[in-house]
Amino acid sequence: MGKITFLLLLFSFTLRADKPFIQVQKNCLTCHTEQKIPSELIYRRYLMQYSTNERIKQQLIPFLKNPTKKTSIMPKQFFLKFPEKKVLDLNETELQESVNAYLDYFDIKKRLKMQ
Amino acid sequence: MLRSEKRSLFRFLTIYLSSTFLLFFLAVFIFYTLQKQEILGQQKSELSSKAHTIEQTLRKLHNTFESPLVYPTYVNTNSAIYNLDKEFIFGTFHPQKIQWHKSIYFEKNKLFYLHKLKPYYLGASYLIVTQPINREPLNKLIQNLALFLLMVMSFFTLLAIFLGKLFTAPMKDSIKQMNRFIEDTTHELNTPISTILTNIELLETIYNCQGKQEMGRIQVASQTLSRLYEDLTYLKFSHNYHRELVLLNLSELLKERLEFFSTLIEAKELNLEEKINPNVVLKIDKNDAIRLMDNILSNAIKYNKKRGTLIVSLTPKSLEIQNSGLGIKEENISLIQKRFIRDNQSEGGFGIGLDIIKQVVKRYEFNFTLTSSPNQMTKVTILWEK
Repeated sequence: MGKITFLLLLFSFTLRADKPFIQVQKNCLTCHTEQKIPSELIYRRYLMQYSTNERIKQQLIPFLKNPTKKTSIMPKQFFLKFPEKKVLDLNETELQESVNAYLDYFDIKKRLKMQ
Repeated sequence: MLRSEKRSLFRFLTIYLSSTFLLFFLAVFIFYTLQKQEILGQQKSELSSKAHTIEQTLRKLHNTFESPLVYPTYVNTNSAIYNLDKEFIFGTFHPQKIQWHKSIYFEKNKLFYLHKLKPYYLGASYLIVTQPINREPLNKLIQNLALFLLMVMSFFTLLAIFLGKLFTAPMKDSIKQMNRFIEDTTHELNTPISTILTNIELLETIYNCQGKQEMGRIQVASQTLSRLYEDLTYLKFSHNYHRELVLLNLSELLKERLEFFSTLIEAKELNLEEKINPNVVLKIDKNDAIRLMDNILSNAIKYNKKRGTLIVSLTPKSLEIQNSGLGIKEENISLIQKRFIRDNQSEGGFGIGLDIIKQVVKRYEFNFTLTSSPNQMTKVTILWEK
């Protein structure tokens, strides 16, 4: 099931086939899928707490540079099931691009539709 | 109804009704504002309820996050969501201007309700819900209040008229009594004055009376009484009097009146300057013209100093009479034009002369001016042109 989701995500990113999406795929989703860490749940949590992409970025980027359980947005119980985040081996530009691509992928404005 | 009574009643009605209406308008306005708040409060609570329903749907969408996320829509209601930075996310309408500091406001017949969200489901920090204002209850309220005001105004107007008449009744009675007294007095004066004047003429012509000076004085006094009788009769009956407007030769009439006043002029040894244009014609009732001329001449003679000057000018445009009297203070000029008010109490009279002049001037829409200052020539000018 995890592999199928990964492949689907990979396919959707590949369709958009630009550098940031490939980076997200490589830097984020590979691990998230393998370890079954729900990236969508994390996005929703960020969205619910910070409302705008800019504000999410302001919180997410420092966390990705120095991830700890304490600074994570996820509750303590989350880490009973999922491993703690490791520091990403990305430079500043790559990190920015990856986060932008991540936020763009889940962007709520694109998902909302009128009946 | 008398002029003064009308004026008093009008003043009373104006003050009483305006203050009463103002008070009622204020009360009705306060009542309307409160009722409006209540009516709009009901509509606000409806909107608030809808906002909560939308919030629940947003929460559900946020938790399921199943694409596509179908935004909730309602008939007759529009809504939109904004993020924490007040940027538009999604909605069934996209208002250009939002009053962020108000939870409820009206714009173009629409009621807007701004609902703050926390946590930010789907990133929405603000939910704005709008629907057209239901004006029916408001219109009904305005109708009822207008009807109430109309009834109150009618009732208080009738009450004010009744009270006004009640209050002016003593004044009306006094004036009636005074008028009756004047009427009776003038009636009783007429016969003896006529008898005196006729007999003086007889004494002078038939019996060649020796006491010319004494006879002259009696004649002056009798003529004064006679004019007073004419004035009082004019004042009393001028409203009902049937006027006969004819083309009257004012030049001849003025000369005739000067002749009538000749005894008085001689008695005061006045220097009379006549500047009368011949055949000045005007369409006027003869009695009105006589009362106008007599009163101006009488005042000019009466308030002139002994051996003073009297200048009488008549042109097709105006009648101008000047006298070298004591003059009138500027502040008293408008005052003396009222009935029974006189500037100089040293001479006899009732103070009705200028009032009669003003009545004739007003009736024929002439232009009347009185210029005077103490110890200067007093000038009365009547322009015939309207």
